[in-house]
Amino acid sequence: MNRGVMTKTWREIRWITLFFGLGLAVLELLLTYIIPTAFGAVPAEWFQVSFFQDFLKGLLGTQIGDVVGPRALTSLPWVHPVALALLWAHEIAICTQLPAGETDRGTIDVLLGLPVSRTRAYLSVTVVWLAAGLFVVAMGFAGNMIGSSLAPPDFRSPIDRVLIVVANLLCLYVAVGGFACMVSTLSNHRGRAIGLVFAVVLASFFLSVLAPMWEPARSISFLSVLNYYRPMTVLAGSSPPAADMLVLVTTGAVFWAVGAGVFARRNICTV
Amino acid sequence: MSVIVTERLTKRYGRRIGVADLNLDVPEGTLFGFLGPNGSGKTTAIRILMGFLRPTQGRAKIFGLDCWNQGHRLRRDVGYLPGDLRLYPWLTCREGLDIFGKVRRCDLRTAGNELAAAFGLEPDVKVRNMSRGMRQKLGLILALAHKPKLLVLDEPTSTLDPIMQGKLCQHLRTLAACGHTVFFSSHSLAEVERLCSRVVILRQGRLAADETLDDLRARASRAVTIRWGTPAAAQETRPPAALELIERSNRHWRGTLVGPVTALVSWCAQQPIDDISIEQPDLNTLFQGYYADAGDDT
Repeated sequence: MNRGVMTKTWREIRWITLFFGLGLAVLELLLTYIIPTAFGAVPAEWFQVSFFQDFLKGLLGTQIGDVVGPRALTSLPWVHPVALALLWAHEIAICTQLPAGETDRGTIDVLLGLPVSRTRAYLSVTVVWLAAGLFVVAMGFAGNMIGSSLAPPDFRSPIDRVLIVVANLLCLYVAVGGFACMVSTLSNHRGRAIGLVFAVVLASFFLSVLAPMWEPARSISFLSVLNYYRPMTVLAGSSPPAADMLVLVTTGAVFWAVGAGVFARRNICTV
Repeated sequence: MSVIVTERLTKRYGRRIGVADLNLDVPEGTLFGFLGPNGSGKTTAIRILMGFLRPTQGRAKIFGLDCWNQGHRLRRDVGYLPGDLRLYPWLTCREGLDIFGKVRRCDLRTAGNELAAAFGLEPDVKVRNMSRGMRQKLGLILALAHKPKLLVLDEPTSTLDPIMQGKLCQHLRTLAACGHTVFFSSHSLAEVERLCSRVVILRQGRLAADETLDDLRARASRAVTIRWGTPAAAQETRPPAALELIERSNRHWRGTLVGPVTALVSWCAQQPIDDISIEQPDLNTLFQGYYADAGDDT
């Protein structure tokens, strides 16, 4: 790692990290506080409606109809599309900086004109990205805890369970970020890299939502990263999803390593 | 000792040629001019030297280290200013020195602040609020602050005012006198002539000339004007072998020196001549000869 590159990267992402961290904290707080009240107003029969069940299943990654209750509802803030969008937007913004963003704006000549290897620069940006991700997720956790303390006692999850969800969420963060890093190394244009990564995570999200309702989507749902992120089963008390977390981290690591290999060998053209 | 060595260095972009069979040998302590028109391959060659591009064929070495495989190690002793300099919009001179110092693992603040004062750059102005000339100054400060053994400057004066150009030239001369090597790319002959002791000329990616400036001057054509004592002498006398006559008017000859100057002067001494003038070597014409037929951007 290189301290200078890390300082430079942190200097560039500190405000968006703070912004996304605060955003996620506020969102988690509000959802954790509001959802119990809002869902309390939903008639119980609705949870027996097949479409409603499938939709929630797609969102939560598990069957909800027969287990709906406070525990199931406390997982919603962790799978809310806005929460996921905030997290993904944050990491896509960071992970597409080197080399796509630097090449796009022409600053890569100055950066790589310094005595730092491409692998070291890539690693340094990765460390800052992971630290920033940890901060954003921690802010989400803090918001969730505050919201939870304001919610009715039935809607409070044990902190150890929530921490497992946070770990699962970090693994999801690693998987998407690793992919974004790889796409960045294959592109000279940050806009294209962001567009491609965003399209893939969006497709992944839709695949996950559609899988319970549509057979063709179900057959390929294993391709969706959200297939390996199941906060509800964790909060409902099942064992930690070690296999899912391993799949996510391995996927992210493989994409990241491919990106490192590509970046170390590719030509850098700014014109 | 050679600082930069390239052997049959070639870079192709598909069918296009960036540089072809380029052999360079830049000795230590030289102010080395790298001349060529736009698109002649100067920047491609520099990008290979900096380890940004992998050569299609051939090798490039700086300080004996391979530019592609060991680029990060050799860049410890290299200061680089890109041709199309882009800096982070939030960067100030002070922050730049801090960050670059951390990357280079040395304190650049003292040397950098001295350079900033010499170049007249305020330390806390952000790049986004700087003019192009100020950005160029910052780029130069960041390239010079660690006192590199080799400076690679790609058209460094393009956005500088004449006063700043003079300061930079003076600084580069001082560095070269202390044994530092300056690799100076430009498409301006006057600039290279003013600064460099040796020059390489690229044309369409290929080496067109690699000579000292003195040798180039010796080869450059020199305009000769002779004023005869009488119109008849001007019309009837046959020109010597050392003079290529271009124009013969009433009492004047205008031509180009094509042989030793002493031969022409000896011949003139025996003629009824009122006056003779032999001008400075015309490098511009020589360079334009090299540049002729140069294609568009490479």
